[in-house]
Amino acid sequence: MTAYSLAEARPQIPLGDALFHQWIFPDGTTWTQFYRAASGYLLRFPDLADFLVTRDGRTVSCWPVPSVSDQSLQHLYLNQVLPLALSRQGKLVFHASAVEIGDAAVAFMGESGRGKSTLVASFATTGSRFLTDDGLAVETVAGDWRVLPSHPSIRLWEDSQDALVRTGARKAPPVSYTSKARFLAGDDIVFCEEPRRLQGVYFLGAGTSPAPVFERLQPSDALIELVKHSFLLDIEERELLAAHFDELSRLANRPIYFRLDYPRRFEDLAQVRRAIVDHVHAEDTTA
Amino acid sequence: MNLSDKIKIPAQVMARQVGAETVILDLATGTYFGLDPVGARIWQLMSEGKTLSEVCDAMQAEFEVSREDIQRDVIELTEKLKAQQLISTA
Repeated sequence: MTAYSLAEARPQIPLGDALFHQWIFPDGTTWTQFYRAASGYLLRFPDLADFLVTRDGRTVSCWPVPSVSDQSLQHLYLNQVLPLALSRQGKLVFHASAVEIGDAAVAFMGESGRGKSTLVASFATTGSRFLTDDGLAVETVAGDWRVLPSHPSIRLWEDSQDALVRTGARKAPPVSYTSKARFLAGDDIVFCEEPRRLQGVYFLGAGTSPAPVFERLQPSDALIELVKHSFLLDIEERELLAAHFDELSRLANRPIYFRLDYPRRFEDLAQVRRAIVDHVHAEDTTA
Repeated sequence: MNLSDKIKIPAQVMARQVGAETVILDLATGTYFGLDPVGARIWQLMSEGKTLSEVCDAMQAEFEVSREDIQRDVIELTEKLKAQQLISTA
């Protein structure tokens, strides 16, 4: 668990030389700055908010910049800050979405824009419950890997909203820094509230294939992909880094990884879903 | 690289065995390198602080291979790893 508190708004003052990492957009704009603080880490989103994450990742405090909406803050917390805090608690957290197929979870990993949310929304609007649309947290229980449900909502760009979501589906208020809309789970978009055994991970390709194509990944390739898509707050803390890499290596040794490519056409999504369900059942060694 | 060199591995570079391969990864930059079992054994010996010449001695004792071949393999591998900044010379 992570305790979250919201403090009074305050202007962002310069933070000195404790900056150790930054996320920069391709256009050169700074998205996030990471500073070391006495009790943990301070994550600065310029002109939006500062978040203080304690060293153990169990407490997060937020200082918004004046006039930033509560919705924007909640959005930032759930999508950006919480996954990093969970990584401090020793959980593995990935840029991935996940859906329930049978009694297990199937995850879709890939860079932004590869269609993780659209694919999971396509399942969730046709009766398959989703566990997360991003920030997928995994934990081990008695040697088995389980996907934990995250926030019951899915963020979609306008074209995916029009193609997948019924008019009138419940939506969270808009946020200031993205035009993606957040749809709340309910009767139209079904959500799985219980952890599910991780049965398969599909790394989404660029969409160049004319039909759904699956290719099994070797453990070494799976490890590289898992590293690429995992959240990690402090890459300079060797002990935690080694533990993180150990966990990822154990996870990579399982025979559950595939590359998946398919055409990015909304009208083909039903066929893509069928192909995925068939593939999951064919590969299920526990069935 | 010279056979008298010892290898230094940066703190953020780690190696783990997955399947039949060993993956070396720089967690700061995302640079990675896959090693087969022979390469993995060279890596292990280098990371124990042996000079490259001592690595070759150990490899020659363990594998049926000529001194010339193993020296070439060790130098070739270390040059590649150094070019990717996964190692430096101590």
